[in-house]
Amino acid sequence: MSGVTPTAAGKPPQQRRGGFLSLLITEWALLRREPMILFWALIFPVGLLVVLGSSTSSKPQHAFGGLRFIVVYTPVLMTFTLTLLALSAMPSTLASYRDKGYLKRLSTTPVGAPRLLAAQLTLVFGLAGSVVILIMLVSHFAYSVPLPSEVIGFILSILLTMSAMAALGLLIASLATSQRVAGAIGGILFFPLMFFAGLWVPQQSMGHVLRTISQYTPLGAAVPSITNSNFGHWPGTTHLIVLAAYTLVLLRISVRFFRWDR
Amino acid sequence: MATAVATEVVSVEHLKVRYGDTIAVSDVSLHINRGEIFGILGPNGAGKTTTVECIGGLRKPDSGSIRVLGLDVRADADELRERVGVQLQTSELPDKIYVREALELFASFYSDPLEPDELLRLLRLEDKASTRYVNLSGGQRQRLSIALALIGRPELAILDELTTGLDPQSRRETWKLIEGIRDQGLTVVLVTHFMEEAEYLCDRVALLHHGAVRAIDTPASLGAGLGQRISFRSTPALDLEQVRVLPQIRAVHEQGGRTIIEGNGDVVATVIAYLVKQQVVPEQTRVEQSTLDDAFVALTAEADAELAAAPGETA
Repeated sequence: MSGVTPTAAGKPPQQRRGGFLSLLITEWALLRREPMILFWALIFPVGLLVVLGSSTSSKPQHAFGGLRFIVVYTPVLMTFTLTLLALSAMPSTLASYRDKGYLKRLSTTPVGAPRLLAAQLTLVFGLAGSVVILIMLVSHFAYSVPLPSEVIGFILSILLTMSAMAALGLLIASLATSQRVAGAIGGILFFPLMFFAGLWVPQQSMGHVLRTISQYTPLGAAVPSITNSNFGHWPGTTHLIVLAAYTLVLLRISVRFFRWDR
Repeated sequence: MATAVATEVVSVEHLKVRYGDTIAVSDVSLHINRGEIFGILGPNGAGKTTTVECIGGLRKPDSGSIRVLGLDVRADADELRERVGVQLQTSELPDKIYVREALELFASFYSDPLEPDELLRLLRLEDKASTRYVNLSGGQRQRLSIALALIGRPELAILDELTTGLDPQSRRETWKLIEGIRDQGLTVVLVTHFMEEAEYLCDRVALLHHGAVRAIDTPASLGAGLGQRISFRSTPALDLEQVRVLPQIRAVHEQGGRTIIEGNGDVVATVIAYLVKQQVVPEQTRVEQSTLDDAFVALTAEADAELAAAPGETA
């Protein structure tokens, strides 16, 4: 027990073992213990891709703007994953950490609570990015969905969509009074967001008015951006501006309301 | 320890904290020395947690100055987080984190941490190392919380409600643990509302009430401050008037053939010396020493009376 002797006051501070990295590793380990989140955010979208890709018509459909079903659906599944992670997993985790006093506990250590937030965001971006790449590869090699030849446009679309969803997730975490409330808000928002993305009715089959409204929702702007990139076109400046605007506005509000303590 | 010079670890001057219109802390000044276990006592809402949260740099005071380890709590917050360990009153960990995982995580935050295994052993959590936080008992969670406060090898540990929710057995064990680490030179600030805990552990205590310090002293002398009471039978009967004029005597009366004498400080010694001189042999002698608990009740009642009534109406 010689260990608890105080350090000499004049001792130079040593290099820290890296609080951020260990927080990130721990958060990833904790997420792996949540089978429901893993299933819905990681396994379900890829599984659905395989089911749809294998069972739907391989001929272009007039209702889908002359595209094959799977070509239309691949971008929707990409947004599905990153929305679920940013809207369901992250806000309820952060709200529960605040409820428990874990964020406050961390702020008494040298690593501080903001690094936990950074670790959560890194985790969401990293996982969502990995699944997007996986969906891209599976859809291409199994079902001949074109790889995004507009590479920069594709990366920009994905990053901006993730940012907008992460900002929305942070806003939910800021406003929710408990983990339960955060989960409920995330769940409720998920359906309209995914509706406009075209999960139930592809955008190509929507009426003119609905389709126009859709273009001004975050995921409604995200899906055509990704589809355009797949065919080598620029995602569309309006779409990118819509996504960036959502990111900035939502982030600003959540920074204003975010609380570290109950 | 003969050569050790008492160095000041915590210095709080005229601390004042307000929450909206409510004054949580109106005037608190404290000085805590190296190696001390310093207790902060008081009823609920006295400002105990607010005071230690200011010392721990978690809360910004409205006025007053706080220096910890010679540093300014706000300006030098980064360095202090490395050197001060905090156990918060209500802070939980993620449900599914394992005990060892939590210790290793917190160890990675500090530049020169203790070995997680050492703390597991010290807090008797070895067989819980691979248990998830959510499956720990209240006492085990509390021990883990103490371990996390100590893992960074702090010079000062702030422990809020150390043993609340523990069974008497675990409480005693926790006290022994704190004594043990104090002997290693750690300074401890302990928030508690258990008088027994303060009497057992603390070198000095501050009694807080309505956001102000009512008294600071060792638990023994705070308790003794209310004095002693001695009662006995004697033949022949004493001349009570002569007893009354002895030093330190507060009250003398007879009840059921017993003489009861109350007084301050060492009144018992005075009375016994007098009895010996008078060659009176006391029988069935009973001596009562006021305790910290009595002092606490008296001081808080006194403060409440001061607030309720005009000065002078209360004795």
